Amino acid sequence: MTSVLKPTLARCLWTAPAFAALAVLLTTIARATFGMTPVLQEDTLLTVSYIAGGIGFIVGIGGFDYWWTWMAGGVLDPHDHSTHGAKSWRDYFLFNTDHKVIGIQYIVFTFVMFLVGGMFAEVFRSELAKPGQQVLTNEQYNAMISQHGTIMIFVFLVPIFAGIGNYVIPLMLGAADMAFPRLNAVSFWLLPVAAFTLLSSFAFGSFDGGWTGYPTLSEQSPFGMTLYQLGIQLAGASSIATAVNFLATIITMRAPGMTLFRMPLLVWANLATSALVVAATPFIAGAQFMSMFDREMGTHFFTMGGGGDTLVYQHIFWFYSHPAVYIMVLPGFGIISEVIATHARKPVFGYRAVAFSSAGIAVLGFSVWAHHMFASGMQSWLRVPIMLATLLIAVPTGIKIFSWLGTLWDGVIRMTTANLFAIGFIFTFVIGGLSGVMLAVIPFDVSITNSYFIVAHFHYVLFGGSIMTIYAGLYHWYPKVTGRMYNEKLGRWHFWLTFVFMNLTFFPMHYQGLLGMPRRVADYAPQFEWSNTLISISAFILGASTLIFVYNLIHSARHGKVAGDNPWGGLTLEWALSSPPPTFNFPATPRVIGGPYRYGEEGARHAIVPEPEPAVVEKTYAAAGDQA
Amino acid sequence: MSAAANHAPAQAQPYKTNLTPEILGLIIFLVSEIALFGAFFMYYTNLRVLKGIDWPGSFDIPTDGTSINTLILVASSFTCEFALLSLVRRKKWPVFGWLLLTFTLGAIFLGLQVHEYMTIGFTPKDTSVGAIFFSLTGLHGVHVFIGLVLLLLGMIRAAFGRWSPEHHVGLLGISIYWHFVDIVWIILYTVVYCLPGVVTPAG
Repeated sequence: MTSVLKPTLARCLWTAPAFAALAVLLTTIARATFGMTPVLQEDTLLTVSYIAGGIGFIVGIGGFDYWWTWMAGGVLDPHDHSTHGAKSWRDYFLFNTDHKVIGIQYIVFTFVMFLVGGMFAEVFRSELAKPGQQVLTNEQYNAMISQHGTIMIFVFLVPIFAGIGNYVIPLMLGAADMAFPRLNAVSFWLLPVAAFTLLSSFAFGSFDGGWTGYPTLSEQSPFGMTLYQLGIQLAGASSIATAVNFLATIITMRAPGMTLFRMPLLVWANLATSALVVAATPFIAGAQFMSMFDREMGTHFFTMGGGGDTLVYQHIFWFYSHPAVYIMVLPGFGIISEVIATHARKPVFGYRAVAFSSAGIAVLGFSVWAHHMFASGMQSWLRVPIMLATLLIAVPTGIKIFSWLGTLWDGVIRMTTANLFAIGFIFTFVIGGLSGVMLAVIPFDVSITNSYFIVAHFHYVLFGGSIMTIYAGLYHWYPKVTGRMYNEKLGRWHFWLTFVFMNLTFFPMHYQGLLGMPRRVADYAPQFEWSNTLISISAFILGASTLIFVYNLIHSARHGKVAGDNPWGGLTLEWALSSPPPTFNFPATPRVIGGPYRYGEEGARHAIVPEPEPAVVEKTYAAAGDQA
Repeated sequence: MSAAANHAPAQAQPYKTNLTPEILGLIIFLVSEIALFGAFFMYYTNLRVLKGIDWPGSFDIPTDGTSINTLILVASSFTCEFALLSLVRRKKWPVFGWLLLTFTLGAIFLGLQVHEYMTIGFTPKDTSVGAIFFSLTGLHGVHVFIGLVLLLLGMIRAAFGRWSPEHHVGLLGISIYWHFVDIVWIILYTVVYCLPGVVTPAG
């Protein structure tokens, strides 16, 4: 009995339906009072019950337990660490305020979503393996590609960087936790709600608008499209909350001596990304609100009949979604700078230029959104400035590439799996970046738009860019998180299979696109058969190679050899702690005395972690003892 | 207020700031709120200024009642600030009283806004201008409502005497949020109610 009252997933099982039922009741009363007909309308009731059920889930898992006292006018205990730290694997399924636990929750959950989204890709690749239609109907195919894109972007790529940042950034800053630990936990637990909302749309006809959900198609789709719009809002709320948290943490909680230009580059990258998230994400919320009002309330934002303007959706949508591309890759750039500097034993080449290029990308990212709309019939005067801004954005990105090459140059390079992924990333990301420059040129874009060339481009950027950096980061910090080394041999297998078959999967798509094969279509002309069969086989092997990674990580967590505190000889602050780090991180506030990448200097230190003062130890461990 | 403050390193920061993480976080959050309103203002500007579409049917926007309503909301911003200033007297009822006055003014604003909705003569379903009018003012109305809930919580804590000149981060946050709601309304009132909107003739 008590277990359904304590903040657990079991409590969610009744709070979420209870909130949903309450919302249905209130809506029905309101509709009856205001004389709306019909009083019981299925779509409206489902929408409100999803929203209220999501809030009920957050309440059930314990997102507000600490605040009820505050709201009732009571006194809070700021030393209440009862929800902090994990003792067994069960604690990872609870509302936890420890940034390290939340980081792992994020990474594991989003990686499971990566596997789910990948499964969708394998399903439609099996459809595309041969011309004609064998496996899926047109509707199922559209549902599959839309779910694949949406799941991958909103519940994998954007949040997994928040997960890696969550684990690493407070450690790098010398802080005990994020600025708002409870908000941090709430923003994680919003993600399962978002994923459930998106995936459960299969029960309501799914959605078929791709990951972009353009009207007017989206306004004619079945109810699943409303769930897509809700799911994006929830994932967006989660990422805004995390970004607020990161910004407040980075600005106010740096250890003494950690000036802006002594921050590791991952911190810089996250600072720029968080600023982007805060300023851009509300725009997709706005676009989805308007589109949802059109669907559920009969307004005319985007329907031509009532004087609406369909094109404005695309403007508002891409005003978020182009910056979102940088949200999905900038933290990865930061990871690569960390990995390459540590494994090449060299200071980062042009540290300040790299730091400023992150900020430059964040600013320029807002001025290029309409390059997604060259063929949409928008105002023609907008095209050239957008093209120039898009070409300009290659400059800060190029600075980063040259910085990584300059860091590798003449370094003492250790070819660990983490570093292999980092170097492989440079190779694939340059291909994706160059095809991006090609696409920025208006005549080329207009002739190639909506073809597989686009698919090739953004998979080189998102798989060859983001996912390679995620792998590099996960391998790099794996010893820190688990205290054990991953299996280097399996890691190499994973890298070479991923690298080779990633290229075999996505490179032929350039060729298909240039020959005019349209994207988002379940069938294709017979002359594309051999390339599509090759792509499908490569995609299956690429998917299977992920299982090596999963096996390696799970198996090595128990049986890997003990890593020690600093297996890579890293200088940044997280390596100054034990592996895994203690619950409250640093025994005493560290003092930063130099730059983070002084590799190769004799006796160089980034920071000093002082011996704990007796009073501090007593206070910290008294608080830790209270929860036991 | 939260555990975060205790986690913050006790030493002085290299970039000294008087902002607590709580207030800084709130301000960053309000930046994202501005962006959310920005999305709706973008739509409004495109429709009314660039394309020059007028209000639905023969209806026009009511300005007289709304001017009084604007004054009410602006006044509530001052009363909210007086609640903070009255903290120095170290008594709980002045704070409570000013918050109650702020809450009442906010509630009157919301009531008059609902009254305007019912008498304005068009609905959200009447053309895209109707939709954007109701969603801009409605989005603001939702923020007023959240502000009222926060003021209520502030009143509850004031009644228990929880605010003091030393500990009032929550109250400061509530007042910043309330000022934000007020400022957004001033902009919205200027753009939607006062400016002519239609710059070029329709067509």
